[in-house]
Amino acid sequence: MKWNSRIRCALVCFAFTALFSGFSFRLIYLHMIKHDEYAGLAAEKHVYKQIIYAERGAIFDANNEVLAHNVPVETVVADASHLNNLDAIVDLVGDELKIPARELAAKLRGDRRYIVIKREVPEALAVALREKLRVRNLRGVYFEHDATRIYPNGSMLCHVIGFTDFDHRGIQGVEASMEEYLHGQDGYRYIEHNRAGQEIVLYRGQERAPRNGYQVHLTVDLNLQNIVENEIDSAMREYAPQKATIILMRPQTGEILAMANRPNFDLNLRADAKPEQMKNRAIIDMMEPGSTFKIVTAAAALNEHKVGPDSMIFCENGVWNFGGSALHDHRPFGELSVQDILVKSSNIGAAKLACSVGEQKFYEYIRRFGFGERTGIELPGEISGLIRPPQSWSKISITRIPMGHEIGVTPLQMAVAMAAIANGGKLITPRMVKSISSDDGKTLSSISPVVLRQAISPQTARQIGDALRGVVSDRGTAAAAAVAGFTIAGKTGTAQKVDPKGGYEKGKYVVSFIGYLPADHPEFVGLVVLDDAHTHKPELNYGGLVAGPIFSRIAEQAARYLDLQPREEIRKALPVERVALTNVPPR
Amino acid sequence: MNRSRHRDWNRVDAASLARWIVLTAFLALAGLSYVYLTLQLYHLGDRKKALENELATLRTQNDVASVQIAALTSRSALQRRLKEGYLKMIPISEHNIVRLTMPASNGEDAIQPVVNNQPADR
Repeated sequence: MKWNSRIRCALVCFAFTALFSGFSFRLIYLHMIKHDEYAGLAAEKHVYKQIIYAERGAIFDANNEVLAHNVPVETVVADASHLNNLDAIVDLVGDELKIPARELAAKLRGDRRYIVIKREVPEALAVALREKLRVRNLRGVYFEHDATRIYPNGSMLCHVIGFTDFDHRGIQGVEASMEEYLHGQDGYRYIEHNRAGQEIVLYRGQERAPRNGYQVHLTVDLNLQNIVENEIDSAMREYAPQKATIILMRPQTGEILAMANRPNFDLNLRADAKPEQMKNRAIIDMMEPGSTFKIVTAAAALNEHKVGPDSMIFCENGVWNFGGSALHDHRPFGELSVQDILVKSSNIGAAKLACSVGEQKFYEYIRRFGFGERTGIELPGEISGLIRPPQSWSKISITRIPMGHEIGVTPLQMAVAMAAIANGGKLITPRMVKSISSDDGKTLSSISPVVLRQAISPQTARQIGDALRGVVSDRGTAAAAAVAGFTIAGKTGTAQKVDPKGGYEKGKYVVSFIGYLPADHPEFVGLVVLDDAHTHKPELNYGGLVAGPIFSRIAEQAARYLDLQPREEIRKALPVERVALTNVPPR
Repeated sequence: MNRSRHRDWNRVDAASLARWIVLTAFLALAGLSYVYLTLQLYHLGDRKKALENELATLRTQNDVASVQIAALTSRSALQRRLKEGYLKMIPISEHNIVRLTMPASNGEDAIQPVVNNQPADR
């Protein structure tokens, strides 16, 4: 009996020991072996990675005037499983957010749990709605913080600034090209929720602060941009061209001071804009430059010492048969000096200069001036233009390219080439971005001018500059481009429009003027291009008569704004009609 | 009888009892302090969250105000107001212009400058 009781006791003890050992092993298994798995499952229920969104950097002009920045908005969402009074919520939210009740009810009764009711709701409206929901004890509607991009100047500088997409990523203009800097780095924080969904601050986990996007400062001066925008608008009213482009650039540094294109669009109403309105024609439109290209031809001949500025070239009295084709001047010229070839814009003279240089060398000079390659400006979508190598030139190409035909260039390339003349032959990379700073204003990077190459010698540049002063004189083709008190160097261009089907469009011209001021110490280079301008008399549709006066008005206002000292005698500008009568410009 | 009763009494060790009381009180106090401090931490967490929310709201309001200021002082807005007649621009009178750099020359028959190059009368 005594032995039996002992055995029973031992068995009971053994059973308890086994039971608790089992529990112990189970506990060890759960706490140590399966710890990570179960901890993960628990974390999924309670721990939540909260994203702390970084703010996109702002864009400023050269004078720190805001061009693009963010405005806080809210996205109103609903959790269908939390909605406690659907009808009341539909009435209130629909009324506040101006959403038809039927549409909202259908949305909330759908299969999805997470429902976006409305995006980009203004902060004030969201605050008011949140309070009303709280007062009426309506649950299930939440507010997610967001931001939208605002452009205070609307359509001004629209092609340069560009815009962002739905995910706040730049897709055009500086917004796209500087995306890397403008887009900040989102932060995060691991937080735990209680059963009511509120954060338990005590259990905050790992945290990383967001880094806001950097601020981008452009070289564009909004005061000059305003002058350009006003003039391009008045040109659109006066001449109703299909397209127009104006560029102002500082030749010594390559800074773009102003850039405007038409047609344009309002950045704040970008959803309504047509693709044609969104094109930055200064960098993506290819045009035959016409006579403005003669600066390259003359520069090549002078730099190669094939001719001197006063060398006389026989211009065949208006018609030159070359390669089985006749080349015409707009007016018969006999002997013209190289300077006068530019002043009078003789096609035959330019062709002969190119012939003296030779095909291969002339092609080299075209490339030296940056044609056929992207300028490298900080804007997306720039094209390189179209320059064929001499191997694929026809017999007459050497007579057509010197007058700006058979090639495709962008307006910006043309401005850069003229800037090289104004800058002693140095070809500078055009720049749109001046500096990048952090959101507390500390400058992180300043972009310095980049000299690509010495395209021509300073002496050749000076000789071309001297000739170009004659263009903006009574004996040149652009007397109407003169600015009282200043000497201007410039060149007109009037090119027949290329027909996409082949050949040229009859009666349609791309008129342009490119020049710099003051001619001695250039402060800016200006380019005006009007595509298919409509003048009240067709014989007035020339670069010197249409684009020239526009340049003159812009240059005068810009000189006043830049406080340039007038050094020349102020004369009254000749009226356009008189200029046309006294000096018929070339096509 | 009295003797045996006296012998059956449990003798209380006052020193030991005091030690236990102190220990228990200390433990109770520590426990209560722990609970109190934990609750304080939760409370401070909630307060911190409320302040963070308040700060975020203020920052948002500040951003909204900045945007409104930028919109109202933008070039387009000012030009529109100028056109509508809400603003007027008055040209700066010549005697109020001060030139920091003197012109190189200004002869008798010199060209009439667009801008005033004369030093201001002071």
